[in-house]
Amino acid sequence: MELMKLEIVTPNGMIFDGEVKQVTLPGAEGEFGVLPKHATLVSLLDTGVIVIEKADGSEVAVAINSGYVKVEEEKTTCIVDGAVAISGEESDLAKALEDAKALLKSAETSNTAIASAVSKVEQIGKSF
Amino acid sequence: MANLKEIKRKIGSVKNTQKTTNAMKLVSSAKLKRTEELAKRSRVYAAKLTELIEEIAQKMQHSNAEGIDNVYFKDIPNPKKVDIVFITADKGLCGGFNSQTIKRVNQLLSDYKAKDVKVRLRAIGRKGIDYFKFNNIELSDEIIGLSAAPDFKQAAEFITEVAESYVNGETDKIVLVHNGYVNMITQEIKEDHLLPVDASELELNTVSTSELEVEPDDDDTLLDALVKRYIEYTMYYSLIDSLAAEHSARMQAMDAATKNAKEMVKDLNVKYNKARQEAITTELIEIISGMESMK
Repeated sequence: MELMKLEIVTPNGMIFDGEVKQVTLPGAEGEFGVLPKHATLVSLLDTGVIVIEKADGSEVAVAINSGYVKVEEEKTTCIVDGAVAISGEESDLAKALEDAKALLKSAETSNTAIASAVSKVEQIGKSF
Repeated sequence: MANLKEIKRKIGSVKNTQKTTNAMKLVSSAKLKRTEELAKRSRVYAAKLTELIEEIAQKMQHSNAEGIDNVYFKDIPNPKKVDIVFITADKGLCGGFNSQTIKRVNQLLSDYKAKDVKVRLRAIGRKGIDYFKFNNIELSDEIIGLSAAPDFKQAAEFITEVAESYVNGETDKIVLVHNGYVNMITQEIKEDHLLPVDASELELNTVSTSELEVEPDDDDTLLDALVKRYIEYTMYYSLIDSLAAEHSARMQAMDAATKNAKEMVKDLNVKYNKARQEAITTELIEIISGMESMK
């Protein structure tokens, strides 16, 4: 399985930097998945959840409010305004989920996008 | 005796100054640590954003040679009206920090004047404002308080206003000048050409050569949002960078002042001891000669 580099940068620093198999992004025109060797693309990101499939097959979810993504063949860079990672230890999870919901609510763009993102966050929370 | 008292008073006052400068140094170093952390965290974001926007600018220049229609990217070879935004500190006592920025702004002013370009100055920070007001140079914007406590919202509001005047055609170019932080002991004047986004000086080092796809695919939605974010964040980051540099400059200046005060106290102490010795000797001679004469 091929891997590509993924970077997620927020104003508070880099929150993800590593090799991944696949990443699903909440584009402004709809959700889309990126695999290695994807054609070069720049897109606006909407409120939603980035789902990362890591090299070992495990999934990590990151809730974001808005941002941009630059996709290149070997590397994907997400530049987002605010992000909360929804993964990790059991004890941190509940707090992370709450943070994620708060973050999504703070982005007052379109209600449907937020509602779908929040429901997705909840779903991810249950699956862990 | 009067001399002795004088010296003693002087020692006291220098010691007091030393205490003040030392305290200011400690305060600055504590503040620097915080600001440096903030700068470090936002640096990655600013760098990535700049990288992205420059790459887009580059691709746009390559894809259509006859000129770019997006207002933020168009190439204006001979700007007639230039806005200079510069950041200084609100407070002094930080060595050459403010004067370096002012010097650069003055240099730019005379450069542009030689080329017959109309320049508008937009000042952030009290020290710069004071300087240009004193010299009767007009400022079209005066903002106090932002450079001491960078606030993203306020910075964004300010720069959006400046960018609007660019879009309206009131100005052809926006230059941002600030004294930036390099490390604890070095500051460096930085001059950014904020708008139009300049890609000509960049070397083409992109790995990918394929056509750049943009989504949403009417070019302007993404570009406008991206450029807006870019200038807002560059402005904000420059403020943080400037604040970090201010603290490091002040720390250095206060460190030097404390050292100088220490030296001065040392010299004064020697002087005081000499004067005291002199007085004692004179007194002794007086007493002895008095005794001699009584014999």
